Parts: sequence; C-alpha cells; structure tokens
Amino acid sequence: MEKTTKAKTAAANPVESPAPAVELRDVRRRYGRGDAAVHALRGIDLTLPRGSFTAVMGPSGSGKSTFLQCAAGLDRPTAGSVLLAGEDITGLSENKLTKLRRTRIGFVFQSFNLLPSLTVQQNVLLPQRLAGHRPDRRRAAAVLAQVGLERHARRRPGELSGGQQQRVAIARALVTEPEVVFADEPTGALDTGTAREVLALLRRAVDGAGATVVMVTHDPVAASYAHRVVFLADGALAGELSAPDPAAVAERMVALAGRPAGTTGAVA
Amino acid sequence: MNGLARATVRFRPASFAGTFVALFFAATVVTACGALLQTGITAHLPPVRYAHVPVVAVADQDAHVTTGHGDDRDTDSEPLTGTPRLSTALAGRIAARPGVAAAVPDVAFPVTASAAGAVEAGPLTGRDWSARLVADPRPGAAGPAAPHPGEVVLDSATARAAHVAPGGTLTLTTPDGTARYRVAGLADAGRYGSATVWFADAQAGALSGHPGRADAIAVLARPGTAVEALAAQVRAAAGKGVTVDTGDARGAAEQPQLGSAKEMLIALGGSFGGVATATAVFVVMGTVSLAIGQRSREIALLRAVGATPRQIRRTVATEALLVAPVAGAAGIGPGVLLARWWLRQLVDRGGVPHGVELDAGWIPMAVAVGAGLVSALLAGYLAARRPARARPGQALGEAAVERRRPGVVRTVLGVAAVVGGVVLAVVAAHVTGDDAASTALGVVFSLMVGAALLGPVVAWFTSTVLGLPLRAGGVPGMLAAANARAGARRLAAAVTPIALVTAFCGTLLCMQGSITHTAARQVRAGVLADQVIGSAGPGLPAAVADRAARVPGVDAAVGVVRGGALVREGGALDSLTVLGVSGNPARLGRAVDLDVRAGSPGALTGDGSTVAVDTLLAESAHVKLGGRLTLWLDDGTRIRPRVVAVYGRGLGLGQVLMPRAAVAAHTPAAYDTQVLVRDAAGADPVAVRHRLAALGVPGMTVTDRSGYRAQNDKDLELNAWANQVMAVVLGGFAAVAAANTLVMTVLDRRREVALLRLAGATRRQVLGMLRWEALLVALGGLLVGGAIAWVTLVPVARGMTGAAPYVPPGTALGIFFGAVALALGSTLVPARFLLGTRAAAAAGPRE
Repeated sequence: MEKTTKAKTAAANPVESPAPAVELRDVRRRYGRGDAAVHALRGIDLTLPRGSFTAVMGPSGSGKSTFLQCAAGLDRPTAGSVLLAGEDITGLSENKLTKLRRTRIGFVFQSFNLLPSLTVQQNVLLPQRLAGHRPDRRRAAAVLAQVGLERHARRRPGELSGGQQQRVAIARALVTEPEVVFADEPTGALDTGTAREVLALLRRAVDGAGATVVMVTHDPVAASYAHRVVFLADGALAGELSAPDPAAVAERMVALAGRPAGTTGAVA
Repeated sequence: MNGLARATVRFRPASFAGTFVALFFAATVVTACGALLQTGITAHLPPVRYAHVPVVAVADQDAHVTTGHGDDRDTDSEPLTGTPRLSTALAGRIAARPGVAAAVPDVAFPVTASAAGAVEAGPLTGRDWSARLVADPRPGAAGPAAPHPGEVVLDSATARAAHVAPGGTLTLTTPDGTARYRVAGLADAGRYGSATVWFADAQAGALSGHPGRADAIAVLARPGTAVEALAAQVRAAAGKGVTVDTGDARGAAEQPQLGSAKEMLIALGGSFGGVATATAVFVVMGTVSLAIGQRSREIALLRAVGATPRQIRRTVATEALLVAPVAGAAGIGPGVLLARWWLRQLVDRGGVPHGVELDAGWIPMAVAVGAGLVSALLAGYLAARRPARARPGQALGEAAVERRRPGVVRTVLGVAAVVGGVVLAVVAAHVTGDDAASTALGVVFSLMVGAALLGPVVAWFTSTVLGLPLRAGGVPGMLAAANARAGARRLAAAVTPIALVTAFCGTLLCMQGSITHTAARQVRAGVLADQVIGSAGPGLPAAVADRAARVPGVDAAVGVVRGGALVREGGALDSLTVLGVSGNPARLGRAVDLDVRAGSPGALTGDGSTVAVDTLLAESAHVKLGGRLTLWLDDGTRIRPRVVAVYGRGLGLGQVLMPRAAVAAHTPAAYDTQVLVRDAAGADPVAVRHRLAALGVPGMTVTDRSGYRAQNDKDLELNAWANQVMAVVLGGFAAVAAANTLVMTVLDRRREVALLRLAGATRRQVLGMLRWEALLVALGGLLVGGAIAWVTLVPVARGMTGAAPYVPPGTALGIFFGAVALALGSTLVPARFLLGTRAAAAAGPRE
C-alpha cells in the first residue's frame, strides 16, 4: 500500500526530485544527566539520497552505532529530527516506528541476527508475518537465491556458518524491498572472502534494485564498496570522501584517530 | 505469533522445563489443599449405631456468641470442646407425643473390669439398659430380663473373655467408684453390640458421673409415622438448644468429633491452602520472570525486526497457554495422592473420625490448573513489559548491563509489603491456638513478597556485605564476587527461593519448638509432686485422691481433671485448656507451683463462680483480677466466673484453673486424669510408692514426677505433627523452586562458562567460582529468610508462650545445612554438565 502512495506522490510531482532516503537535521543524543552526561551525537546534519550506498566510519567512541540507531528509528534522539523519505519519524510512537521497521526499513547487525528457533525461510519471512501479511514464499525463495542460499531454506541458523547467517540476515533485510537498509558492522565477524561476498550483495542491491544502504564499518576495504564515506569523530561529522579507495580511507582514519579529542571538522 | 510461540517451545523445550516444574508442583500443592477443603465441607458419616433409629435428639454441639444489632449482627459459632448433654427429663416430654413409640435416653461412660478377666476384656462401655433398643429396636424375642440396681447384663463376647457366667460377680470401676456387681444375664453380642456392660436404668445415670443427663435421646416411631413428621413432633417437644437429626445427620450426632474435624479440614484446606496457593503463584511468577529475562536478547531482536510490544506479549502469552495447562494437568494426580495420604494420617492420629473419605471433585483441580495458568500469564505479561517496550537499540547492546536502580513502583510496593508484614506480625501477637500458624504464615508471605520486590536491595546486600570475604578466596572467589556485583537480578532471583524455604520452615518448626519447649519448662518448674498416679485406662475415680492423701508419708495429694472450654474474646470464641483440681485450693501450692502473679488460688470456690487464669489468657480476653470471664465448659454449660488469681504457667499446666467440683460434672468422662502426690518431709519415696500402689485401683500406674503428662497430649501431638507436615509441604515446594531457579540460572551461563575455559580457567577453578557463588546465595537466603522468620516469631511466640522464641538447635542446624546443600547441589550438578562439553564448541557464535 505504501508503494502505491509513493508512486502516486512521484507521479503527482514529476518535476520535484524525490525526497532523500534519510535526512538528519541537527540530531543530538545525550546519555545521562549533568556532569556525568555522555554526548554521543553533537548535532549531525546529513542527507543521504536515494539509491546511494553510504559508509559511516570513525574511531571507536565516535558515535557510529548511536548514529545508526537514531537514523533507523531504533533510538530517539535527544534533540533534532530524522526524516525518512521526507517524513519526520522522530516524533512517532513506538508502535508506528515498529510498523516502519517491518516494511520500509531493514537492518543487519554484526551478530545475533536470526531467531535460533526458526528456519532460514521462516526468519526471512518474519517481518511479513509480523505485519500480518500472508507470507510470500516465492519472494522469499527469490531473495534467498539472490544471496545464494536457496538450498538452505529449511535449515536452522545453528547449522549455518557465520557468513551464511549474515547472508540470511541480508535476505531478510531485503525481502520487503525497504527504502533504506541499515547495517551495523555487517562484515565485522567475517573473513575477507566472505566479507567481500556480503558487500557485493549489498552493492548489487543498491545498483540493481535501487535500494539505499547505510553501513557502519571500521574496515577501509568494506568502505570502498560505498559511493561515499562519511567520517564521525566525537559525535560530530568530520569530513567525507567520495568514490573512496581503501588507501585513502585508511589514511583519513589514521588522521582522525591521531587528532586530539574535542576538535571537530566542518561538514564537507 | 502462534507459529512463533509453538516453534520456540518445540525447539527449546529445555528453556521451558523450569516453568513446567514450577507449575507442576504448584498444581500438586493447590490440588491437595483444595481437596482437603472440599472434604472438610462435604464430610459426613453414615450413622452406624443409630442406623435403626429414625430420629435422634442431641444438644446443640456449637456455642454461639452474637454481637452487634440489626444489620450488623454477627454470630460466631464454635464447636464445643467436649460433648454436650441433654436432660433425661426431655425423654419423658418427647415420649408423650403421639407419633413416638419410645424415647430412649442414651447414656454411655467408660468402665474397666478388674481382677482376673481385666486384661482380656479390654476397655468397656457402660450403658443404661434401655439403650439396648438403640442397637436393635425390635422387641426382644427371648432376651435377658432387666438388671436391678447392683446387677449388670454383659454381652456374650465380654462374658466369655472375662470367664464370667450369669450368676457370677464382677468388679467394675465406673466414674462413681469401684464396686462388685452381680451378672444378671447375657445379651447377644452380635445383636446388641460387644464390649458393653448394661446397668439398671435407675443406677446408670449416677454411675456415669452425670446424673440426670444423657448423651442423646433416640426416638422410635409408632408404626405409620413418617420420619419427617416424627422429627417435627420431637422438635416441638424439645424447644431451643436441641438439635433433632434425621438421615445422615445422625452420623454427626454419633460422632460429635466430626464437627471439629470438619473445621480443622476446612482450616487446613482454606487458610493453609490460601498461603500455599499464594506461594505457588509467587513461585510461578518468579520462575516465568526469570525465564523471560533470560530471553531479553531474543525479544530485542524481534522488536528490531518489527514486532510491536503487543505482539511480543501475545507470543509470551501463547507460550504460557501451551505449557501451563499441561503442567497443571500433570500435577493433579500427585496432588490427590498427597491429599489422600494427609487425610489418612489425620484419621490415624485421631484428628478425624474413621469413615471420612477424601472428596476430591473437579473444583480443586480446576482451581489448581487455573491458578497456574493465570499466574503464568500475569507473570509473562509483567516480565515482558519492559523488554517489549524498550527501544531495541539499548537492548541489543553488546554489554548487557542491568539497570542500576530498581523502579520506583517496585520499591514503593516492596516497602509497603514489608511494612504490611510487620503490622500483621504485631496483630499476630494476639492470635492464639489454631489460627496462630496460619496468621504467622501470612506474615511470612507478606514479608517475602516485600523481599522479592526489593530484590535489588537484597542482591546489593548479599554481594557487597557477604561478598567481602570472598576477595580472599583466590581467583574463584574474586570472580564470584564480581559476578555477584554485576548480576544483581540473577542473584536476587536465586536468593529469594532459598529465603522462602528458610522463612517457612524456620517459622513453622520454631513456633512448634517454642511451644513445646516453654510447656516442658513450665511443667518442670510447676509440678512439685514426687509421685504421680496415672491410669492406663480411662482415668481414676474421684475417691482415689482422698485415699492417697491419707496414706502415711504423704503430705498432699491433688487429683487433676483435664478438660476444655470456650472463652469469649470480644465477638469470637476461642478454645482453651482447663485444669480441675481436687482438694482444698489453698493447699494446691504443695503439689503444683503455678507462678501466681496476682490474687490467690485459695479464694477459689467449688461452685463455678470463681476461676484462676493464665496471664496470657487474661491479656487476650481483656480481663483483669476481679473481672469476669464468659466460659462455655465442655458440655456447653455457660458460666461467668470472677477471676480471683492470675498465674504464669498456663501453657504447661492449663490456661484456666477451677476446683474439680465445678468442672468434673461437665467433662466427657468424669474421671480424674492423674493424682499428684507430694511426699512428707523425710519420707522414703520408695516406701510411699509401694503404699500408693497398694491402693489397688484397677489400671493405676505410679511413677515419679516425669510421669506427668503435659496438657492435652493428643491435641498437642496432633498440632505438632500438623505443623511439621505444613513445614515439609511449603518448605519442600520452596526447595524445589530454589533448585529449579538455580539450575535455570546456571544453564543459562553456558557461554560465560565456556569463555572462562577459553580464557584459561581450569575446570576446578570454574567449579570453585560457582561453589563460592552458591555459598553466597545460600548465606544470603538464610539471612533474609532467618530475619523474616525472626520478625514473625517474636510477636507470635510472645502471644503464645509469653517468652522469646526458642530455636531448637537441631532445627536450626538442619535448615542451615539443608539450604547450603540445596544451593551447592543445584549449582554444581548442572555446572558439571556444562563443563562436560568442549569449551570451544560451547563458546561459539551459535547460541
């Protein structure tokens, strides 16, 4: 139903460019109070256009995971607003956010992505069942084929390797054709070969199906698969890099890590 | 969500095993108590002796007290402590009615035959001759003639056993004394009953010790009179205070003990059952909360993927609906078995008359299963509330750190429960006797709920204070201390059931121990007699005390009669023990030291207008020296005597003291229970004992001071046994819950244990860490449970014994070692199982 709305909006305003997939306006996130407060995000302004693959990098403690959680609606920012396809999701109730997560947002975590008691196919179809829709098994099979695991549909996560589990997680994230896929260190626990497969999958989803992917990572090689790399340091944006290659990314990371705490760079 | 719930249950049945066990035992306990309650409500006995008598009239077996006016009227009824009797004159009034063929007064009293045949004959019942019509109303074909005064008719079986034939003589002891009787004839034992001696109607009343009174009046109908019509006529003739029974109610008339037995069963099933059910709900909720808490990551993932809080709750509810009914149904069978065993034990110990069968209908079973289901659902809902509503981001964090401070609502409720428990404990100080155990358990439960709600405080205390010495325990100790500090919720969940076991067992067993200890101490200090004359039979005739006093070498001899009474305390009735003493009350102090606090027993008069009371009774009945007390004696006679003395040793000797003359006529059997003899100064005790034995009373025994039996032995023993069973049932259930919880928490730490192994800890070090943690849990539970038991016991013991609680050393050590063994066993057995798997496999990414 949401697709027809989107199509209608697009048809009604053919001249306007489509709204960016994700937009953050002065997003802040603070934990704790008073002197003991931790400022995880200090005013982030960022626009992520549709069909882009963005990597978010930064030294540990820079607020990467917090950024992802706020952008995905998993956490509510202390101040500022987050817009998903032009719609402000910051003020939405938990129930509405949950419904978003079923169909318009997908994510992949570093580990513990799948419910151990369900089979691969059931895990992939979980968001649909939660939404109360009839499970579309053919779609599930198609997505599993996309990630190369169509023969493992009836296995349980416990019987799969780490890489295979991540691929199932990506399949689940993609099955509802979401507007944005958020990934928090999806290749962190994988070896280089498997990591490359997973990243290629994500890139294919962007190039082929027009999905938008936002990926947090610490690996320069992973970042090189993205269109753009955005750097975070001390809770604020610290520069970006377009069409990145691993060496340049690594160099920037070293420079960021070497900087004394408290200084921030301007947004490019 | 159905599919998800079913998949989870099917895939990981072990994670539901804990919940299953808790629900199973909960259903067992609740079913057993419910079955006893239902039995108490519906218990009835078919009449045996009165089977051929259509209508039986008995005196009202309850005492009633009414307070308030108009709409506020409240009547409290309590079964009398003894058997009420009717006036035999009533038989005459009933016989005058048109439908009545005969109205037979039924008089019965214990009789012992002495001399050669005594041993084989056994205990006999003396009856009036007319009462043979009760056993067989048909006109006798060729039966023996009625005996004259001085003669008796024996049943054939007894005559054979005593080797006596018609025309011979027999020495019989009745409450009136010992005398020889001529055997006038024999009655057929099969037709009229065995072990019976029939006396002449005119003489039976006097011999029974209750002249002019009968236990019941059996009414026989003229041919053609319907039972109901006959009953109506009898009621009209009898007036107030008389119950006219037909049908099955005749069984209650035959066994007056049935009334109090039903009350006891109802109290057991109701009050104790209430506490047991509340405990079961408490345990189930704790287990389910723990089980859900262990799945918080899974719930967070579901939330992240798009499950609304309501969907999460529905999944949890569906799981409960899958597990609870099965577990509940499984627990019903053992519950009925437990109830059956319990009832049989009560019958064997004389608390319940023979012939009462267990009535376990569908109601207790439905309640058991329903209670388990409701508590599992409620617990699931409450436990899943926070993880279901939390933002998934927080819950999925790598470091699963628990909240530091407990929620406000939980703290407020916890404090309220503790305060409520303390207030209830103070109230419990004024509760006596039968209600004491139930009230005490209520206090314990309230305090336990408070302790459970304030779990984080308990955990903090245990980990910080008790964990201090752990630092010295090497690496395992240090790890244990760190785990305890970080895993507050887990620690609290483990400590709570151990505290529950300690609190329940400690309270019940020490309460019993306090009473027994104080009673024994009071008897030791209060009985000054050097010799005690007792009886192997029903008792000693009144004359024995006088004869003993005249024996050379004896300074004083006091006969004591033990009975019961009901006292009015405000608007309610409570039962108490009565001591009737023979002889001059002023000389009572020679044989018995009452620890008189005020007044003097010498002022006691034998007409029932004066009484001496125990100080605790005076407190609870709000009466002082010179005030008046309302008492209902054993047979229902109401008196309002004035208090002339207050003494301190009521628990061991008797709560109310009166001269024998005022009491004896109202007790069920008008015998003395014992005679206390004080030797004169300088007399040789052995010689005195020989002379006393030479008094020649059938069935008498002469012992030294230790022969004095404390108050109402049978009742006290029954109470003590009942408390022990309650302690075992509740304590056992709590112990199962404790073991269950500990096993669940240990098995959930599979990854952690594996990580330790990978980091380099040997099996022994890991086991050592778990051992220290188990000891910490045991100690924490013992302290919290012990504190709760102490807070409960202090006022209750003060109310019942007037002293501080007494902790039997055996009980204390037993509970201590039991708790430690329970904690160690429940932790180390699953730990060994965990350590059996290869470390690498267990620590892998697969959960």
